[in-house]
Amino acid sequence: MPRFNFWTVVMILTWVMLFVLLFIPVGSVLVSSLYDQSGNPTIANYLKFLGEPRFHQAFINTLVVGFGGLIGALLLGSIMAFCVSRFVIGGGRFVSLLAILALVSPPFIGAYSWIVLFGAGGVVRGFLRDMGVNMPPIYGVGGILIVFSLKFYPYVYLMVSGALSNVNRSLEEAAEGLGLTPLQRTFKISFPMVFPALTAGGLLALIHAIADFGTPRLLGRGYNVLATEAFTLYSAEVGSNMSMATTISVVLILVSMVFVLLQRYMSRRNVYHGNMINKPVRIKLKGWRNVLAHVAVYFIGLSGAMPVIISVIYSFRKTSGPVFQSGFALQSYERILFNLGDVVRNSLTFSLTAVALIVIVGTVVGVLVARRTNFNTALLDGAFMVPYVMPGIVIGIAFIAAFNTGPIVLTGTATIIILSVFIRRLPYTVRTTASSLRQISPSMEEAAISLGYSPFQAFLRITVPLIVPGIIAGGMLSFVTAINELSSSLVLYVGSTMTMPVRIYLLILDGDFGTAAALSTVLLVLSGGAVYIAFRFMGRNEQALL
Amino acid sequence: MTSITLRSLRKEYNGQVAIPNLDLDIHDGEFFTLLGPSGCGKTTLLRMIAGFNSIEAGTISFDDVVINDRSPAARNIGMVFQSYALFPQMTAAKNVAFGLQTRNIERAESIRRVEAALESVHMAHLKDRLPGEMSGGQQQRVALARALVIQPAVLLMDEPLSNLDAKLRVEMRDTIREAQREAGITTVYVTHDQEEAMAVSDRIAVMSMGVVQQVGSPAEIYRNPANRFVAEFIGKTNLIVRDLHQRDGVTTLDLGEGVSVDVTSTIAPGVSGRVQVSVRPEAVRAGGSGLQAEVVEETFLGSHSQIRARLSTGETIEFLEFSRRASLWERGEKVVLQLDTEMLTYFDAETGASIMQGAKL
Ligand SMILES: Nc1ncnc2c1ncn2[C@@H]1O[C@H](COP(=O)(O)OP(=O)(O)OP(=O)(O)O)[C@@H](O)[C@H]1O
Ligand SMILES: [Mg+2]
Repeated sequence: MPRFNFWTVVMILTWVMLFVLLFIPVGSVLVSSLYDQSGNPTIANYLKFLGEPRFHQAFINTLVVGFGGLIGALLLGSIMAFCVSRFVIGGGRFVSLLAILALVSPPFIGAYSWIVLFGAGGVVRGFLRDMGVNMPPIYGVGGILIVFSLKFYPYVYLMVSGALSNVNRSLEEAAEGLGLTPLQRTFKISFPMVFPALTAGGLLALIHAIADFGTPRLLGRGYNVLATEAFTLYSAEVGSNMSMATTISVVLILVSMVFVLLQRYMSRRNVYHGNMINKPVRIKLKGWRNVLAHVAVYFIGLSGAMPVIISVIYSFRKTSGPVFQSGFALQSYERILFNLGDVVRNSLTFSLTAVALIVIVGTVVGVLVARRTNFNTALLDGAFMVPYVMPGIVIGIAFIAAFNTGPIVLTGTATIIILSVFIRRLPYTVRTTASSLRQISPSMEEAAISLGYSPFQAFLRITVPLIVPGIIAGGMLSFVTAINELSSSLVLYVGSTMTMPVRIYLLILDGDFGTAAALSTVLLVLSGGAVYIAFRFMGRNEQALL
Repeated sequence: MTSITLRSLRKEYNGQVAIPNLDLDIHDGEFFTLLGPSGCGKTTLLRMIAGFNSIEAGTISFDDVVINDRSPAARNIGMVFQSYALFPQMTAAKNVAFGLQTRNIERAESIRRVEAALESVHMAHLKDRLPGEMSGGQQQRVALARALVIQPAVLLMDEPLSNLDAKLRVEMRDTIREAQREAGITTVYVTHDQEEAMAVSDRIAVMSMGVVQQVGSPAEIYRNPANRFVAEFIGKTNLIVRDLHQRDGVTTLDLGEGVSVDVTSTIAPGVSGRVQVSVRPEAVRAGGSGLQAEVVEETFLGSHSQIRARLSTGETIEFLEFSRRASLWERGEKVVLQLDTEMLTYFDAETGASIMQGAKL
């Protein structure tokens, strides 16, 4: 049967692809960490990791920013989720928009915006100093935690508000009937039901926090985490230490893996109990409570979106060289137009190519996973977990380790950047395609077959039209991740393959915030457009951004 | 017009036998129903006929041509699914037209046939609705039209009515029966609802655990069940155990309390000993002479009541009585049950197989 052959070929190609793009790079990282600079097998790197205080510190710092980010995101996210889903908040949709803005804002532009406001020469800090209030600059671990909390709270907010608005009100009413006070109800009934959502959202924040490279890099001022240590060791002009960089990468993968597994476990428990018949109603608060709820929600929302607001404003400020002048102008955009066209073009072509690949390959493999259960698809499903646990910086280093020498040399090419984005985002598409396919009753295709169509025609004419909107939406969301990707590109880029996020990073290091802000705004507009298109195709569904 | 012949058919799911060895002849143009309890293999068998299930052994023939290796698309079947399986992105008319599109039928002819098909299921007025905008019954009508419009050799339906409410089910089964008669298509219909099966079928195959227990017209399987399983599954019945006595070439059944029946001409020759007697509710009447009993419970059901009584042997007998104006039966009230001995059927006490004359022993 030809059908059998087609899927066998797909299966084999999928494994080959995973092998080349995933197992070889991960394997190279492992192998490289077990050799010294001159190529002799050794475990010295790990001993060094265990022995040197510098690495201990980075390890501890990673956990600190991870758990700190988790706590901060939990705090902000659950307050916001609780207020928005239980009280009538004016402009509720706008608040959700602010959360989305925080989520899709270009990486670490956040960090820099906060420096602009609260750094050593920060605007707000200067203003406060004039008022006689002296506050420390935002650098160090405190600053990192503030930025992480504000950047990652939407994960908690989106997860928990989803769960909260689906808690069956009958349960709370039943508890009320049994004589529980509102406080008891909250802790005994509602809290246990949203607990999985809380932990799943919080762990998502933690995973992103420990993988984040830009924020500690810009705000840390000596506060190093594993991600920055790996990058420093890799990129040092003198004495670049690849084997030590890969050792740290392995440690980072292991740490990340623990939390990813935990997160997935909690997500699976996060099934909504609601039968949707008796949905909770929002209460209209009165007096100071109402004011308090609004202040809390808008404070969190606006603070989270602050970096975006700042960079949009600053992108229009008049500049002289890198220095801001008073007044507004389009100089920063002119600079992009005249000097940075290739960077924008790179970003667009790389992202679009990666997304096209992701959509095509992801859909075919998704079909394979959903429909050909007789193949060993459980194993395949498991293999697709690997990219989830790989922080971007690690993917970058792994690709360098794998494709620098040997049969396939890709370093310095556009291909390597595209492939790194591709492999990181592919699992999402595979999963969403597979799950939307599983929701379509197989009898639909059987009906078409009974009417005289071949199985392939039936799939093409009946099933594909049903999943295409979801695929387009997923592709758009992949585009958002692809075009904002910094950490792996930072390892993989060369002069001719520079992308917008990399350029923004370098501009900030050079102190040219005007151009960085303008580039960020361009990124933001592209991301916003993609999210808008995605929502057009699948309905406004913030959960899909997680 | 097509007849279907199944010979020595076997189906396994990963080594688990679902249908061990099945033979069946479905005649040209008949409405044939597979009836049996959940998990007995009805769907499995239907999907084998459709070509969606593999066949481990045996043959399926349409008009004496073996079609085991023919793909479902090439079998010229119409199929109606329990879940309707309408294409959600297409209107009713487009759904119905979908099967005609692969068949190279002229546009005008296609439009005419789609309209006729929708008309036959009384859905012409909703032809531009999407499935999401139709009720379950309306969707199932469209699904039926979609299956009929391609003029299939065989129409296959798997519990098409089980997602509908009770009243709609009765209405829909008339529509189905009507449409099938009109088109004269050989139809295989799956249900676990015996009343539905009786109402629509020309013939019924009663299945249990992958084995056909009996094939016959509704009246045949009701009046003359091949075994205890069929007697209990089709309609209601009371089973009591009694002894046969043989003297001078006359076989009598002793019902107790001096009541006995001459069964020489009803029971197969040579049977003796313990037998199970199936007493249909309608074979029981209160009053006259017969067996002593005590009323246990009466359930008032509107037009009639269902009364449960206990015999002096401790066995329970249920029977029906048309509602009277007078008061209901009291619990514990004495009653005499008269049995219509013409309507009794008999089974071997051990195997449960029918021991009626003419039954295959
Ligand atoms: N895909 C499958 N894989 C394994 N076993 C199966 C599969 N489909 C059915 N079976 C088994 O085969 C037997 C018959 O199942 P089938 O679906 O044919 O029953 P059915 O008579 O249609 O029941 P119902 O009235 O509940 O629909 C059952 O024991 C069932 O568990
Ligand atoms: Mg079934």
